[in-house]
Amino acid sequence: MDLWNYLEYAAWAASALFGLFIVIDWIKTDSQYSEEFLTSSREGELEALTEEQHHRG
Amino acid sequence: MAQEQQTEHVGLARVLGPAHVWALGVGIVLVGEYMGWNFAVGKGGAYAALIACWFAGILYSCVAMIDSEVTSTVAAAGGQYTQAKHIVGPLMAFNVGLYLVFAYTMLEAANAITVGFLVDTVATMSGHSGVLDQRPFIILAIMFLAWLNYRGVLATLTFNLVITAIAFSAVIILFLATSGIFTTSPLQHAELMSGPASLPYGWLGILAAMHFGLWYYLGIEGTTQAAEEVRSPARSLPFGTLAGVMTLAIAATLTWYVCSGLMPWEYLGQAGVPLFDAARLSGSTFLMVLLGIGTLFATLASANGCINDASRAWFAMGRDRYLPGWFGAVHPRYRTPYRAIIFLVPIALIFALGAPIDQVITFSILSGLLGYTFMPLNIILFRRKWPLDSIKRGYEHPFHPVPAFVLLALCGTTFFAVFLGYGTQLVAMIAFYIVVSLWFHFWRYRFVNRGAQFTMPWPKPRGY
Amino acid sequence: MAKYTAPVQSKIGQIIDVIVLLIMAIGALYIPLWLGMAGSSKEPVAIENPTWEALGQNPAMVGQWEKLGFSDPAAAAEMITARFDYSFSISSLIVMIVVIVGYYAILLRFSEKEYCDVIAEKFGE
Repeated sequence: MDLWNYLEYAAWAASALFGLFIVIDWIKTDSQYSEEFLTSSREGELEALTEEQHHRG
Repeated sequence: MAQEQQTEHVGLARVLGPAHVWALGVGIVLVGEYMGWNFAVGKGGAYAALIACWFAGILYSCVAMIDSEVTSTVAAAGGQYTQAKHIVGPLMAFNVGLYLVFAYTMLEAANAITVGFLVDTVATMSGHSGVLDQRPFIILAIMFLAWLNYRGVLATLTFNLVITAIAFSAVIILFLATSGIFTTSPLQHAELMSGPASLPYGWLGILAAMHFGLWYYLGIEGTTQAAEEVRSPARSLPFGTLAGVMTLAIAATLTWYVCSGLMPWEYLGQAGVPLFDAARLSGSTFLMVLLGIGTLFATLASANGCINDASRAWFAMGRDRYLPGWFGAVHPRYRTPYRAIIFLVPIALIFALGAPIDQVITFSILSGLLGYTFMPLNIILFRRKWPLDSIKRGYEHPFHPVPAFVLLALCGTTFFAVFLGYGTQLVAMIAFYIVVSLWFHFWRYRFVNRGAQFTMPWPKPRGY
Repeated sequence: MAKYTAPVQSKIGQIIDVIVLLIMAIGALYIPLWLGMAGSSKEPVAIENPTWEALGQNPAMVGQWEKLGFSDPAAAAEMITARFDYSFSISSLIVMIVVIVGYYAILLRFSEKEYCDVIAEKFGE
């Protein structure tokens, strides 16, 4: 066992940690919000929205 | 946020500036200078690689000009996918979307493989005995960057800006240190490229080198994916893209100059991390550490940008129901296409852990190449359906249709180069796209609303 | 023209579509690998007791090889003599051209058909 063996384990652990964060947050988000809200983004809509704001401002 | 909740809408966040666009474009590509381009040397020798580098530079200048014009007008996530949808038609858009996703996901896999290789090299140099398991480092690179992308685009691309700038500076410093301006130069171009080493495969080698010549720049067109997150796309996108191509042409030429002056072409043509090798040969520990860090940063920046771009394209297709609508979701807090990001992680891992790197690179190059072949068709139809006076463009590229035809000719040449070495993959790849096109046309397209997918506020196209 | 209303796809249908797409994609990328048809391998030429001179390396090249860790010409011989085979048959070149051109032709043709519907619905007849 030298430093690099420990680094291997550390890399495994860190990968699992990042993966875990993503999966937990994913499940939490999906259960917290409705599907309609989550998939409400439409192409070109942002364009319309910013232009609207410009006109108002 | 308050407004989004009021209107019951959630979309991507418009937070990026032109520097982020540059970082996204150059960040994806710069890794090509640190690994991969040198396979062009293996294909035809050092001179062939330089000629391929410049021809590929012309190819990408055409790509950047054409792309800048269209994207300064069609500014939406999905980039070329959205362009194709508005200009050529749905089936073309579906194919272009898949080119993007595959080109970037394969490039991401290639980057992760390189991270593993680099860690292994450093471990061996530091006296590690036994075989290092590269897998945890490959997986960590992908998981960390997926996490970063998941958490928000501003932090992701600011991170990219910093590491790309460091990796780019490392190339410049290596060039200055070895150029002979300050000390006697260790470069020996004349000796290393003399006799049969000048063009080992003759003229055919130059053609063959075009295959990996693309690698000097592959991915710069990804800047358009940020269109929905940039504060002023009509200005930032052309600027970031064109500045990116110039940066890369400089970096590519310097890289070639230093590496070909230090390594015999037979070695250079198969090296895993050529710039790092060049720094080792320069004899300076400082340069070696610097270029080692540069290699690591370049691969991370590239994989990072790839996750960003591939997920935008996948998301945009899900949003239009070209793919299951489930993928068209935006994270309410982080404002990222989180499901697309998650979905592409295992796919990148499958290829990073299971396929040899030159194959992965070839998959990526082929998908990119199919996309570049689409661009001339795209711009010709764009100018025909909406002539210059019909809609306002943020940027108009000069000399139309010369760049389109030059691009088409160079793509043809590159197809031939790929055919010389990887003809089977080429045919398998196109067979896949044909099957998938039929699947889309006869099955999947029924879930797509017809008129609603045309979202640009343009007049009716000419001739319809 | 009547407005086309797309059916809403069920959750299971969505999952099946993704799986189908994945199988096709991974198949296209891995089948050539499994069949061993992928890629161009380099064939080294065997040379007995190679010297740097026999390998065509001049003193500058030898110096760099040594710095790279190849002090013995035999260790570098395989790398130096390996060459790609660029020979090809005209018939396979023609097959490739037909496949690529045919692919883009299909793409443009179907796209145009679908595009006409989109424009007709968007801008009205």
